[in-house]
Amino acid sequence: MGTHIKYFFFSLLLVIFQTKLVVLLSLGNITPDVLTIWIVYVALREGQFSSTVWGFGVGLFFDLVTGNFIGLSALTKTICGFIAGFFYNENKTAMTLRSYRFIVIVLVVSLVHNTLYFVIFTQGTDIGLIRAVFEFGIATTAYTSVISLLPMFMFARKYAG
Amino acid sequence: MINILVAFRTYVILALLIIVSLVFLSNNDNTQIRAIRSYTVGMVGFIQQAFSVIPNVVELKRENEILRQLNVNLSDEVSRLREARLENLRLREMLGMKSQEGFTLLPAEVVGKSLHLLRNTITMNAGEQDGIKPDMPIISELGLVGKVIASSSHYSVGHLVINKDFRASATVQRSRVDGIITWDGGEVLRLKNVAKNQDVQPGDVVITSEYSNAFPRDIMIGTILKVSEKPGSLFKEIDIAPSVDFASLEEVFVITAVPDTERISLEKRTLRTK
Repeated sequence: MGTHIKYFFFSLLLVIFQTKLVVLLSLGNITPDVLTIWIVYVALREGQFSSTVWGFGVGLFFDLVTGNFIGLSALTKTICGFIAGFFYNENKTAMTLRSYRFIVIVLVVSLVHNTLYFVIFTQGTDIGLIRAVFEFGIATTAYTSVISLLPMFMFARKYAG
Repeated sequence: MINILVAFRTYVILALLIIVSLVFLSNNDNTQIRAIRSYTVGMVGFIQQAFSVIPNVVELKRENEILRQLNVNLSDEVSRLREARLENLRLREMLGMKSQEGFTLLPAEVVGKSLHLLRNTITMNAGEQDGIKPDMPIISELGLVGKVIASSSHYSVGHLVINKDFRASATVQRSRVDGIITWDGGEVLRLKNVAKNQDVQPGDVVITSEYSNAFPRDIMIGTILKVSEKPGSLFKEIDIAPSVDFASLEEVFVITAVPDTERISLEKRTLRTK
């Protein structure tokens, strides 16, 4: 229970960070998605069921804070948590978190998340499907994966001993 | 059941959360959702069209019931139309008979009438512009109504058979006995000038006579109700029920035949000579 309260406060902080401060890290129109990294972390620590529920909760909270497309992040991050849950192995959690596997998992999950997110987000606009996937989806995925190096190094230090 | 839900709890919660997310999504009213709705409608339409070859039993049953009901209604309508067609043929036949006699029937609506006076008349909404002139006979589908006595451009007035001034030559259809139709102000018409030795029976039909100069022959006048004889009189007293119900008269036909003036003048001259 204590863990989930901790997750709640972390989620709160990260949503605020994603909405208010992540623009400071933007490259052109591309910003990293720290919430996806967070959900992958939850998935690797708690398993598929928890990560699916937390994905929905974090996504919905993000939607409510931004208020521009309620339900979209809830949907994509629910799927994100579900997919990330497939990489859960309770015996190898620390090993996965401190290794390049964490980056790969973030890459895969982020790719699915961003593709779905931007395909829906660009419907009815001048931005076509190809541009949505490649220019926004893959670019955001790549940037998110690069940013996920930071927690990976952090976990590497933490679980080094 | 619960065991299955527990075993697949992740999938159950995934499905549930996706549904909730989609509900939230569908509540948005922005360009993206409108576009997605549009695609969805198109896709659903395409799928429905693709599967439309497979009959829907429930829908077919409902459609069958509607068609059966429609069939009953149409059968009823066909029956009524058939009746109307037969009626039409009868009327055409009737009109054709008249035209063979060389007359044209002008339809007119009754726009005014008096029935409780001694000189009862009707006013019709057809006049000289329609070809109506004084002395033309007026009939209905039931028989003799009267004759035109005056006309203006768009209206005309006619004496009814139930008018003290009305006279018409008549024949008893069965025995070909001739007489003069008059009205004395009662419920019935009278057939006058029928000698006591003539064969006239109650129930005989009375029609216009071929000797009449004012009316074409064979127009129904009425049916004999009573035949009586008065002592000291040479003639029978014959009561006739008119075939036309004047109270409910709404539409009439005016026959475009005027009395033959040559014949009238010849007959008058002859009578004077005598």
